[in-house]
Amino acid sequence: MIPENEKYDKVLNLLRKSTPQLDSSTEIEREVIRRIQKQNRLEVNLSGAFDFLFGWIYIGWVRRSLIAASIVLVLIFTYQQGVILKRIDSLSKQTIVTGKESALTPSSEIEKLLTNYINSGRVFPSKTITITESQMKELLESVNELQIKYKDLENIIEADPELKKLIENKLLEKNKTKINL
Amino acid sequence: MIDIQLIEECRGGNFNNFRKLVVLTSPLAYSVAFRMLGDEDRAKDVVQETMVTIWQKLKKIKTAEVYKTWIYRIVINKCYDEMRRRKRNPEFVTDDQTWGLISNKISEDPSEDLENKETAKIIRVLTEKLSAKQKAVFVLSDLEGMSNDEISEITGIAKTAVKANLYHARKSISEKVKIYI
Repeated sequence: MIPENEKYDKVLNLLRKSTPQLDSSTEIEREVIRRIQKQNRLEVNLSGAFDFLFGWIYIGWVRRSLIAASIVLVLIFTYQQGVILKRIDSLSKQTIVTGKESALTPSSEIEKLLTNYINSGRVFPSKTITITESQMKELLESVNELQIKYKDLENIIEADPELKKLIENKLLEKNKTKINL
Repeated sequence: MIDIQLIEECRGGNFNNFRKLVVLTSPLAYSVAFRMLGDEDRAKDVVQETMVTIWQKLKKIKTAEVYKTWIYRIVINKCYDEMRRRKRNPEFVTDDQTWGLISNKISEDPSEDLENKETAKIIRVLTEKLSAKQKAVFVLSDLEGMSNDEISEITGIAKTAVKANLYHARKSISEKVKIYI
């Protein structure tokens, strides 16, 4: 009867002693070389294909031409951007009227209103006009002011019958039309 | 013994010398792979893959002195991969014939070596329940005769973990020996 520890040691010794024998080392060598060469061939093929497709970029004059072309393209792009910005700037200063754009740039609000009036009343039969909110506000204020002044004038004329009669006569004489105040 | 000069020349890209290196290195790699996997054909596959990896990465090792540790590390990692693959298609290897064989061999003349197939069977039966790490530590320590420091360096496992894994591996194997022999 062999003791347990001894059994274990014997099994281990048996395994240690029985070093695995590689009987086909030349076969392994051949296979390893074949695999490495296959990989190398694949790498060479890939690099060959890459050179064929993109090798021309290494030609000196092609490189220089490409650089010059890219510089020209950048300059054209920059110039176009400048032109576009300038155009946008000039457009933002213009009064836009439907159907046509006016190149006028009025200096004061009154001039603007006058321009709008001329444009809408005489030049453009469609009678539509595009104005800003501030211009509209100013127009309404001036209409209100005119209405107040007209009311005051009416009161003054009503209060003075002689003045009323005089104005009526004057208007009749001049225009041959009757105005009822 | 592998000549450091030969390794240095291979690091320089000398393919003919690499053939010599394959012949010299294959038995070392085969011994570990065979003992880890318990299968001749799979061990040969691992050796081939190891040698191809060596050729690809030989330039990356810092000095030729670390070559031996480095190839063991590659072999162990390749074996881990192979075991992971095998885990998906497990083979049940325990059989009474193998235990009978072990029993006979340890009772017979201890100077008689085992054949590869017999060794493979015994290794598979003894280590089938071990984890990959336990198997690696057991093979490197008890069969290849390496120190715990070397094993730690090769496997990347901490020294204390190496000891623990070795303890569990030995315990598992000695329990099997106790039961079946």
